[in-house]
Amino acid sequence: MSSDRPLKKTAGWLGAASMTGRALTALVGGYASAAALSSLLARLLPGSPAEASAWGMIVSFLLFACLALWAFHERRLVYVAAVLWGSALLAGGAVMALGVRP
Amino acid sequence: MRSNLHDGSTAVRGLRQSMAWIHAWLGLLAGWILFAMFLTGTASYFRPEITRWMQPELRPAHASAVQAAQAAINHLQATSPGDQQWFIYLPDDRTAVTRVFARAKPDPAKPAPRRPELKLDPITGQPLEARDTRGGEHFYRFHFQLQLPHPWGRWLAGVCAIFMLAAIISGVITHKRIFADFFTLRWRKGQRSWLDAHNAPAVLALPFHAMITYTGLITLVAMYMPWPVQANFKQADDFTAAAYGRPAEGKASGQAAPLLPVGPMIQAAAQAWGGDPPRTIVIRNPNDAAATVTVLRTTASRLNARPDSITFSGATGQPLSKSPAPGPAISTAGVLLGLHLGHFASPALRWAGFFLGLIGAAMVGTGLVLWVVKRRKPNAPPFFGLRLVERLNIGAVACLPAGMAAFLLANRLIPADLPNRAVLEVSAMFWVWFGLAVVSLLRPVRRAWIETLGLSALAFAAIPVVNAVSTDRGLFNSLVAGDWLFVSFDLAMLVVAAFCGVGALVASRKPPASPPPPKVMVRKRKPAPVREHADAV
Repeated sequence: MSSDRPLKKTAGWLGAASMTGRALTALVGGYASAAALSSLLARLLPGSPAEASAWGMIVSFLLFACLALWAFHERRLVYVAAVLWGSALLAGGAVMALGVRP
Repeated sequence: MRSNLHDGSTAVRGLRQSMAWIHAWLGLLAGWILFAMFLTGTASYFRPEITRWMQPELRPAHASAVQAAQAAINHLQATSPGDQQWFIYLPDDRTAVTRVFARAKPDPAKPAPRRPELKLDPITGQPLEARDTRGGEHFYRFHFQLQLPHPWGRWLAGVCAIFMLAAIISGVITHKRIFADFFTLRWRKGQRSWLDAHNAPAVLALPFHAMITYTGLITLVAMYMPWPVQANFKQADDFTAAAYGRPAEGKASGQAAPLLPVGPMIQAAAQAWGGDPPRTIVIRNPNDAAATVTVLRTTASRLNARPDSITFSGATGQPLSKSPAPGPAISTAGVLLGLHLGHFASPALRWAGFFLGLIGAAMVGTGLVLWVVKRRKPNAPPFFGLRLVERLNIGAVACLPAGMAAFLLANRLIPADLPNRAVLEVSAMFWVWFGLAVVSLLRPVRRAWIETLGLSALAFAAIPVVNAVSTDRGLFNSLVAGDWLFVSFDLAMLVVAAFCGVGALVASRKPPASPPPPKVMVRKRKPAPVREHADAV
């Protein structure tokens, strides 16, 4: 899964566009993914809802930082985008489908 | 020492290289703001002490919690007995005054303007007059609001904090010689020395950096990451009630009933809290049959910064509700918050935090310089980005200290009774900070570093002098009187001036004419030809 070489510099507008897309995916997509995954964790953890929400909030930033860093390690941008935006949509969709804890 | 084979593994080296690359960009983009957050946050370890220094007219008068609370209530009863709510912030051994804020009953016909917070004498309850100042509150607020309109400052600070967290993680992955570099400082070797000067403070205080960054994000988690709460609760208030309890405060009944003395309530609360005094008292609907007195526990004696609370009936004195015992997650979050705020810290620990914060600022500052040093070519004119970063580095690292000193100097130089003086003090910081950064553009880079750092040193060194001239609480008088807060403050200013002076000295040294190529250095130091991680940047 992981690349064997660091990000290669691509010259010209294509390189600039790809780097912009990567940075946006890392920052916004990484946040969305971390928010959705930690919300899903909060929704699924057994026990009191306040405790579950607090665990979700506590781990969310570590998750965000690691996901965003990984976005700059993996060379295939399409794969990065698919994982970050995909997990955000899937986990976010699952949280919405489950609805607020009764 | 790891085996050469392991170091040579392409996957590991690939990860190191990508992490080194992103580490440099994260640090560059957030570095200037992070430096300011580190410096003002470090100053905020002494928020109440700075406020006390900035109001030299006030001398602390020690009163027990019961005495101070009752004195404040007596004053409020005499001035505005029909209010909706009274907030009473009690003094402790770090603050000199009782602060009160009274909110009038809402009147739809003519909405009353928000009343100012009052300072009261803890013993007599009489209002105290002192020069108007934001005090330590200014550095504290700037630390996470960056003087920007709400909520943009807090969001920007949050983005910088998550950059910092990612920079710490990527920095640790990049860095394979973590324990060796603990003891490595190679002076006057150009880029090498800057790398060491960045690594030493980074590694030395790594647990502090990681702790302060993560807990900083936690302080505003409800704003930055509200989604895990929304997954379980319809409203954020419901989460707050479930986690911290909802005080049994209700609407006024309209039936008059005298407010009972708070002494027995404070004593009952102290009994439940192992003898801890209250920090804050909130009285709702005073002098009504439905009056409530909510007593919040001090956080000065425990790691968890979320205060326990007990609510009493103001008319009968009976306890009505109390905050629930927190579960492991809520406790963890409270302790993380407490670690960031440092209210629990003894003076020794607070000074340790202060110096660790300065080490953090040094780490960010040397990292910013390293970015430039790495990219500077000896025989080529610097490209635009390099010159821009160089100038922004001077503005952020060397000019901010002068601005902070100007804020403190303005406190002594602006007449004590001038209207709007609190705002002028704050303006002084930004005019000096940004003004100096702009003026330094007129000077060559090296001269600009030396002169701005030199001016910062002078500005800090001037603080004890101006203090001695403008008040009767100069260093000599404070020593004679045994006023250790003022003694420490003056000495701390001289130490900070010395730091800035050392910075100016370092900048004034001639860089080595031609730095030896890194490969030679590596061979000299270690038998194995290990590639230095940072060379990949």
